[in-house]
Amino acid sequence: MPVQYDGVLAEHAAVRQAVGVFDVSHLGRFDVTGPGATELVRRQLCNDVTTVASGRAQYTMALNDRGGIVDDIIVWRYADDGYWVMPNGTNFDEILGRFVDNAEAATTVAAVRDDTVLIAVQGPDSPRVVEAVIGVMPGRFRVIDGEFAGGWFRAGGTGYTGERGAEIAVPSESGENLFEALLEAGATACGLGARDTLRLEMGYPLWGQDLDESTTPMEAGLGWVIGWDHDFVGKTAVSRQQDNGVPRALVAFACEGRTIPRHGHQLRAGSSTGEVTSGNFSPTLGHGIGMGYLAPPIEPGTQIEVEIRHKWVPTQQVDPPFIKT
Amino acid sequence: MLRTSEEARLNVPEDLRYTKNHEWVRVDDTGIVSVGVTDFAQDALGDVVYVDLPDLDRSVAAGEGFAEIESTKSVNDVYAPVAGTVVAVNDALMDTPELVNSDPYGDGWFARIDPGGEPDLSSFMDAAAYRALIEAE
Repeated sequence: MPVQYDGVLAEHAAVRQAVGVFDVSHLGRFDVTGPGATELVRRQLCNDVTTVASGRAQYTMALNDRGGIVDDIIVWRYADDGYWVMPNGTNFDEILGRFVDNAEAATTVAAVRDDTVLIAVQGPDSPRVVEAVIGVMPGRFRVIDGEFAGGWFRAGGTGYTGERGAEIAVPSESGENLFEALLEAGATACGLGARDTLRLEMGYPLWGQDLDESTTPMEAGLGWVIGWDHDFVGKTAVSRQQDNGVPRALVAFACEGRTIPRHGHQLRAGSSTGEVTSGNFSPTLGHGIGMGYLAPPIEPGTQIEVEIRHKWVPTQQVDPPFIKT
Repeated sequence: MLRTSEEARLNVPEDLRYTKNHEWVRVDDTGIVSVGVTDFAQDALGDVVYVDLPDLDRSVAAGEGFAEIESTKSVNDVYAPVAGTVVAVNDALMDTPELVNSDPYGDGWFARIDPGGEPDLSSFMDAAAYRALIEAE
């Protein structure tokens, strides 16, 4: 996926107001099937996949023994004992390796990324475009299978923009056909730049910036992703933190005017300090927005300041999302 | 990042001088040096969303970062092409930074510098040399 096709602002607006299409084939995906598949997914990932039925999707994470986030992941449960596990591209080998190493003999773990293309269709007009091309629009966090261009598709009502949308996988040979058909139906081709401004407006974290192996779900404000009623890698560490509190916490904030916080800028609030992990211009709001960590965590209402060009700039703390979609 | 077909349509006016950092320089009859970024630079940056301009009357050294330009993709320094005093800045960019995209050689100008004498233009490229530079990138 290129950074942009026609420009980040135009692509961002297309997704917020109409429909955009992203080639997200770089995202990881592997298939877990057979007896033991459910227990394997359940053990390796911190959300409890048994709380969603077949035909549903779930946001989840893989943790290390210290409770750090090894990756944040979408799982498509397409059958009772059939899952697509979808890590970030950079963590694909690591997560796939964990599943392969821990699979029982009767459970099959197979990479499907290299044989498939994955296209995200996002925006309020996505149902019309998706129905025109594959005949059906998956509901929010639903997973469906069907036929496309003489082959198969698998689609989930998931995405990374906060808009209504679908992510559609097809065999690689049908990928170009699918992308072109979506453009033909009226979608705007979008790149990585718009993907980043869209997810930031929703306060969605990006692994490698806002999340990493030294950050726990609670510190990232993602405690809701943990399913406490099952055993999973990292549970002891996150349970301890759940009881004892976090040493630092993610905050979201908006700047006045056009000053723009950026990754690495310093933060301060009361006696707490930290750094911006994601920041950019919000095309929808017309001003700068950002996220970052403060240690120790601050009380609500504490003034957060960000250092931009050697000046401490006051910000407004925001409870994400930054915009309503 | 850019394809050759796109470079061919980028505007490189004949009457300006250029730096390797993709700034353009125009010297008026009174010796004042106007500075902005080139069509190539704005195209590579993408949508410009913020411009940080120098203070008026600031003294700048040649090659000193004296302004910043932010797009949705990145933050970049703009360098003073000559030493001197900042005598004007384009305040319109504060509210409408997109002028840098729409009119980089006109309403998208950044600042004017008084070099306090005849500016030395020998280190700058003419349009032909600059065109060769961007075609090589």
